Amino acid sequence: MSSIGQQIRAQLPYTKRNAASLALLIFAMVLTLSAFAEVGLARDGRLPLGLPLYGGGLVILGFAAYFVQAKFAPYADPLLLPLAVALNGIGLAMIYRLDLDTSKTKLDARAAGQKLAEDEASAPGQLMWTFIGIAMFVVAVLIMRDTKNGEGRFAISPKTMQRYTYIVGLSAMILLLLPIVPGLGGQVNGARVWIFIGPFSVQPGEFAKLMLVVFFAGYLVNKRQAMSLIGKKIGPLSLPRARDLGPIMVIWFFALGVLFVQKDLGTALLYFGLFVSMLYIATQRVSWVMIGVGLLAIGIFVATLLPFMGHVNQRIDIWQNPGPYFDGGCLVKSGEVVPVNPDTDLYKQAAAAGSQLPGQTACRKLGGEYSDSGQLLKGLFSLGEGGVLGTGLGQGEPWRTPLSFSDFIFDSLGEELGLTGLMVLLLVYALIVQRGMKTAIAARDPFLKLFAGGVSFVLALQVFVIVGGVTRLIPLTGLTTPFLSQGGSSLMANWILIAILVRMSHDARKPAPQAIQDEGMTQIVSTR
Amino acid sequence: MNMDKPLRRVAIFGLLLFFGLMAQVNYVQGSQADKLRTDRNNARQYLNLFNEPRGTIMAGPDVLVTSIETKKSNPKYGRVYKDGEIFAPITGYFTNSGGSGGLERAYNLLLSGQDKRLANQEWFDTFIGKKAKAANVQTTIDPQAQRVAYNALKASTTREGGAVVMDIKTGALKVLASFPSYDPTTVAPQTGEAGVKRFDAMNRDRAKPNVDKAMSEVNFPGSSFKAVVAASALENGISKDSSVPAPKTFLLPGTNTTLPNSHEGGACEQGQAPLIVTFAESCNTTYGILGSQQLGKDKVTDTAKKFGYDQRIEVEPNMSSAKSTFTLPNADGAQTALASIGQGSNSATPLHMAMVAAAAANKGKIMKPYLMEKVVSGDSQNVIEEADPKEFGQAMSAGSADQLADLMREVVRSGTGKSLAQFNIAGKTGTADIDGVEFNNRWFVGFAPVENPRYAFAVYTVGDGSGGEFAGPVAGKIMQAVRKD
Repeated sequence: MSSIGQQIRAQLPYTKRNAASLALLIFAMVLTLSAFAEVGLARDGRLPLGLPLYGGGLVILGFAAYFVQAKFAPYADPLLLPLAVALNGIGLAMIYRLDLDTSKTKLDARAAGQKLAEDEASAPGQLMWTFIGIAMFVVAVLIMRDTKNGEGRFAISPKTMQRYTYIVGLSAMILLLLPIVPGLGGQVNGARVWIFIGPFSVQPGEFAKLMLVVFFAGYLVNKRQAMSLIGKKIGPLSLPRARDLGPIMVIWFFALGVLFVQKDLGTALLYFGLFVSMLYIATQRVSWVMIGVGLLAIGIFVATLLPFMGHVNQRIDIWQNPGPYFDGGCLVKSGEVVPVNPDTDLYKQAAAAGSQLPGQTACRKLGGEYSDSGQLLKGLFSLGEGGVLGTGLGQGEPWRTPLSFSDFIFDSLGEELGLTGLMVLLLVYALIVQRGMKTAIAARDPFLKLFAGGVSFVLALQVFVIVGGVTRLIPLTGLTTPFLSQGGSSLMANWILIAILVRMSHDARKPAPQAIQDEGMTQIVSTR
Repeated sequence: MNMDKPLRRVAIFGLLLFFGLMAQVNYVQGSQADKLRTDRNNARQYLNLFNEPRGTIMAGPDVLVTSIETKKSNPKYGRVYKDGEIFAPITGYFTNSGGSGGLERAYNLLLSGQDKRLANQEWFDTFIGKKAKAANVQTTIDPQAQRVAYNALKASTTREGGAVVMDIKTGALKVLASFPSYDPTTVAPQTGEAGVKRFDAMNRDRAKPNVDKAMSEVNFPGSSFKAVVAASALENGISKDSSVPAPKTFLLPGTNTTLPNSHEGGACEQGQAPLIVTFAESCNTTYGILGSQQLGKDKVTDTAKKFGYDQRIEVEPNMSSAKSTFTLPNADGAQTALASIGQGSNSATPLHMAMVAAAAANKGKIMKPYLMEKVVSGDSQNVIEEADPKEFGQAMSAGSADQLADLMREVVRSGTGKSLAQFNIAGKTGTADIDGVEFNNRWFVGFAPVENPRYAFAVYTVGDGSGGEFAGPVAGKIMQAVRKD
């Protein structure tokens, strides 16, 4: 029986689908530009001032990306680029909508000489990062271009990465360590995941994510036979040899350790899921998935016991019962939650005593742990406001949610585009992931299979962790929403991810190289 | 060893993750949206309430409530109530904390322009986000009759009073008056701190000016409740001419207390009398015996429930009456006898009593009372919502209802309401002693005109004297005002 991959390959058309890709790309651009126009009309009563710049820039870069793809990866999956452009464009329109510095009211007030605080949402910044992100895509596809005679100068393909498995793994570790280097890294919103280089702030974890996929893929391809076949069997579980599992456990513990130190639970969850899924793809052993999940459970249990990781079990409590934590709640020893929000006497007393953070001070006096579910609930209120059809772009009040432009951008979109819009966004994500998975299955090379499967799954998992968090499906942990959240590192990393998938799908879908000679004509030369 | 199978499984798992997210988004935005919008912690529902003018509330051609610009930034708009004291039970109030009552609360979303139906009137306006103008609410109230009712209540009572008039064919409320009252303008947004203090003071005031006496407060209905006992009798095989007990006194079962009649002599001392005579003369003994022995608690309770007892009548969304009660669940014979003449544990709102009269006048059918005639969009003048008269229930058979109506006519022809003949109304008088004070609850519950009735009413006032003498004329004056339109 032929494998599923062979069946799919047999059915693949091996045709270039560039016209379809172009049509979809134009649709994605029309969608984006309409979104911009509506934001301007609804919010300010006029078309956005920067529409020619924003729109023109996006169109030029979009077409550049298309032409590079059509020339250098002509057999690429036609959906990936348009879907990514659509997501990026809608996210950009939403950030423009949330950046009230671009609104007519604020511009007029500034012109009248009023001094106003700047918004945290920054549409020009995000626009720049979008340009850079798409440029990264172009450059990545160019570097990974398919050359007729093997590899040209400076041309590398995803396959090339396999040669540098350990170097890439080491780089990932260094990148993850950077934020805890004093003077370079910094803490934002409780998580120490940023490094500051001059005026720029970078989240190295976003890039480390891709590198870890490369490392896991490269390593597992070499070892998977040994890992799945050799080993002790204890009951239904089969354990691998220590020397096969050792290096991968080292890097895994290292990653988790760094992340616990950085207090970035979401990323830890993401890497963990990535690790387990790739291990499963490589070895087909369900028992290993079980071991992995068990390890995670132990990890979380240990985390709840550690005093300095107190916010882990509190996050779980907030998830189940956010109400009392609104604007500040205090989990006391008895398991009860005492509200210490600004309306309570406890808060007022602490404030009167001159405390900078009255909620926390009041809670410390009670001997409990302080936390605040205000963000989560405000995000949910935002979703509730949207309902099924949404308020319409520019017509809601999504800026009432803190971090409405980054962690909670999905809720902001939910308010203005409604349930309908969110379903579309989730479908777009699901399509990208499934196209990636299809590429993995259709790929011929085991390393590329693992690589493509890994990057696709990591995208799905990231969307699940953050979107599930802001919709209260799972406890909230901070992660960026791919392509939508404000932030350069995330955009660049995700555009590179799309470039890799585009190149790999080109490889998988292009016709197999023709044999130069007929087999019948091959002379077999005996060496004896 | 091939990796396609695990890859496919992981791909399916990835899809399941997305299905999970989709299900959750559907749950949150589809089924939880309203709950989230009105969550206690959700500040959005109180913001922007004062930045846009609210819609008007009208009664006939009269504009009862309008928004005015305050020329301040917060609140930008205030609220003015014309003849506020007279119309307060209908309009309700709207305070500077966003709290509201009455129609202000029932149609808050429409009055504040937030209702989704308003935005969809012009698709292009929706597209560019032009805010919908607030909608205006037209009430069923007859403004002239309402004024007459309020002034008559004020003039006739020493403490408090309430009056209800409803259209028996539709359930539309024509009058919903209460005294003492308050002017909602004094607690409107523009009054600031003073309004908050005034509101607190009202809540502490023992006269409860902010609780309307027409539907939100219960009192002893006195003999007017005999209409319900009579209805129960008529439904259970007794006709208006059947002979029923009418002794001089009735020894309350299980006690040494005797229940006397309200007056000496007349039909109530004959031992036996036709039902219609005992009704006209309002014999306490007859109805005590009917309620506690001949019919029994269960049958009367049954009838009372059909008239809307034991439930809050939802006149408009978030605007319900108080609950009228006949007896407590474990009432004994003596307590049931007292309740059957509208005393003891019996307490009712004028709205419920008007519904009793409506059943008598309308072949036993009661229409659900309502206040909103229509809601009109402020932009397009389209009708967004319109009154949809609904049946509340069939309280008794048409035959019994006609007989009960005859009983009520007899009251004014020859009984305790003789002095009211000039007003062309029929009904039952009621006078209930209040323990420890010299005042009585005085009631007149009935319908008008006498032949081919169109309206049912209930008037309740507190003061010296009887229902026939004092509540009856108030009802007569109100009904003269109503019939003019």
